[in-house]
Amino acid sequence: MSLMDSIRKSAVGRSIWRTPKRVTDRDRAAAHWGNFFLHIYPVKMRREQISFKWSWFLGVASMVLYGSLVASGVYLMFFYVPSPTTAYGDIIFLQTNVAFGQYIRNIHRWSAHLMVVAVAAHMAKMFYRGAYKPPREFNWLIGVVLLILTLLLSFTGYLLPWDQLAYWAITVGTSMTEFVPVIGDTVRAMLIGGTEVGAQTLLRFYVLHVAVLPSLLIGLIMIHLWRWRKDSMLEVDVEVGNE
Amino acid sequence: MSDIDPTTSSDQRVLGFVEGTPPVGDRKIPREEDSVMVWPHLLVRHAVVALAVIVFVLLLALFFNAPLREMANPTVTPNPEKAPWYFAALQELLFRFHPLVAGVLVPGAIIVGLVALPFIDRNPDTRQRNRKVAVATFTIFMVVWILLTVIGFAFRGPNWGWVWPWLEWYGEL
Repeated sequence: MSLMDSIRKSAVGRSIWRTPKRVTDRDRAAAHWGNFFLHIYPVKMRREQISFKWSWFLGVASMVLYGSLVASGVYLMFFYVPSPTTAYGDIIFLQTNVAFGQYIRNIHRWSAHLMVVAVAAHMAKMFYRGAYKPPREFNWLIGVVLLILTLLLSFTGYLLPWDQLAYWAITVGTSMTEFVPVIGDTVRAMLIGGTEVGAQTLLRFYVLHVAVLPSLLIGLIMIHLWRWRKDSMLEVDVEVGNE
Repeated sequence: MSDIDPTTSSDQRVLGFVEGTPPVGDRKIPREEDSVMVWPHLLVRHAVVALAVIVFVLLLALFFNAPLREMANPTVTPNPEKAPWYFAALQELLFRFHPLVAGVLVPGAIIVGLVALPFIDRNPDTRQRNRKVAVATFTIFMVVWILLTVIGFAFRGPNWGWVWPWLEWYGEL
């Protein structure tokens, strides 16, 4: 009996895991089912579904990058005030005087670019596998929204360093909304809080970047994964004929 | 000598070994459709992918610093003015077509097309050889989009004129 087994069989272990025995597949399935952290996964999947060629693991790569972005982003938030008078100086200070400041900023930057690539590639892979077909149409739709949110997150974050690169990229990017008939100018004014990129824009993009968009993203990811789990179990059930 | 007979297992005495494969009925050949436990089979794979992604990001961050230019100055417009790379294709389209087409119709059509895809493509078959039109359409769209992105990102210089990236570099990440 391994150490882990004896811990699971103790009074405390039983209260945490509830399933002390891990002998048969049935025990293991019960343990999986009773574990909070594993609840986002189905208990069983078909062998082909867990192979590299099935998904290229792009969904899980996107999730890991999102985790990396949240962790590094929270660290950056400690040293950053979203105001045109302080923002740029905060970044300089972060890079020169804060422990691992430059390194954490690098991680945040490259994770962000990679996440855009990973999410887009995930979508392409799902297209080629035909994963958007019934009964999973709605999960594809959520995926499209997740891609748009990822782009918006990257775009709002792009402004925050408040350097020439950020300022003019956002100026060009938001000027595209001007061409939308009738509502274009209103949308742009709402987005940047005025007629040109300024203090209001920085504050709005910051709030969107650190609060609104990440919350929406994680909420939709939950629905996305919940549906993924249900649908993968559906396939196993259909397989063994108890649909 | 141990008092446990080494040729005894589960109260059965082993009398001898025969070389070769087991009889057909006993052979366990894993099939693609067989279901396996997610723990550990999938979770180990996910852990490896997670570690690979994290190592890749950590190395990238070690060798390449995030760019930081001079402080934002609304009175000095850089030339070229570039949007982030994932909007480079749109910016390139904006240069070639009327803004209403490049800035509204194309992005609108892409979003509507992607959202409506499962409801337009009613072919239930998932094998690629049986969905040639869908695969061809999507592939053409993707190739064109990646091409436009690369052009807008790396092949455009001052006044959005053509440059060769190996001679002059204007791409910004």
